[in-house]
Amino acid sequence: MEFIAIGAGIAILTGAGAGLGIGIAAGRAAEAVSRQPDASGKITSILILGCALAESTAIYGLVIALLILFTL
Amino acid sequence: MGVLQETVFEILHNSENVADMIGEKMAVNEAFHFTIGNMRIAVDDGIFVSWIVIVVLAVLAFCLTRNLKVTNISKRQAAVEFVVTKLEGIFYNTLGEHGKEYVPYLTTVLLFLGLSNIMAVFGFKPPTRDLNVTIALAVMSIVLVQAASIRRHNVFGWIKQFAQPTPVVTVFNILDIFTRPLSLCMRLFGNILGAFVIMGLLEHILPIFLPAVFCLYFDFFDGLLQAYIFTFLTGIYIHEAIEDPEPKEKKVKKKKKKAVAAETAAVEA
Repeated sequence: MEFIAIGAGIAILTGAGAGLGIGIAAGRAAEAVSRQPDASGKITSILILGCALAESTAIYGLVIALLILFTL
Repeated sequence: MGVLQETVFEILHNSENVADMIGEKMAVNEAFHFTIGNMRIAVDDGIFVSWIVIVVLAVLAFCLTRNLKVTNISKRQAAVEFVVTKLEGIFYNTLGEHGKEYVPYLTTVLLFLGLSNIMAVFGFKPPTRDLNVTIALAVMSIVLVQAASIRRHNVFGWIKQFAQPTPVVTVFNILDIFTRPLSLCMRLFGNILGAFVIMGLLEHILPIFLPAVFCLYFDFFDGLLQAYIFTFLTGIYIHEAIEDPEPKEKKVKKKKKKAVAAETAAVEA
């Protein structure tokens, strides 16, 4: 049982990559808005889409972790 | 000090039940069942709540669209028109010129998902927490994308599209048919289930105040954002499928861009 919990913990490490990706995207978006404040609406929608795509890896990790914990 | 210690002990004692609680939050239970002849048809709570969502949306749509006029409109009609125009405006830009007929479908899915994802606020388990619901929606999306492509380019054009832009990527384009709905349904399912479990944990730790604050993020923001992303991605896929293949124009544009870049470089030098 303990080893299963360790596996779930490893699966959740995918969150690190998603955090990095979203952080980079948000930083670049801030730069872009400071350079062109007029385009902030368009930049925001692109940022949200990019964040959602980057976030999905973390979500896969979460799903796998929950599956490991509750079905194994 | 004594009170604090007691609360900590209480939380620690409760944490033994956390695993059970999470399991209960994740489980898909049977709402009710009915029998036709010898067949026992079970209705899961996800499907039952999605029926509630459908009924609410249908009643709203019925009530709000009575007595519509062209001139001298009521405040109700003005509000409805404003909301519908805003929602459709989201997709008109993504879908482009040829995709206008797919806007009502996407708007409907957006409304359905938006209401489904925030059902936890009203005390129901959100239907999108059930993997079956999200798989069905993702399969509908990918079938619509392929059908749109066939409608626009005919069957041969549709097959030819798999070898665009170069024949090397054909395998990846075929894989896309399976990976796209998979990522669509897993993203929606994982987000809503994760938010639901985390809200359950927060309620477990501190039933007052804390859930009210986090509910704004996990239920409203995340739920509505995921509904938007699901439909937006479907819209992008449809737009990609019904695009005109015009390689000649692109080359011209590239040449022009190169020329412009060369000019600017020359000016800078």
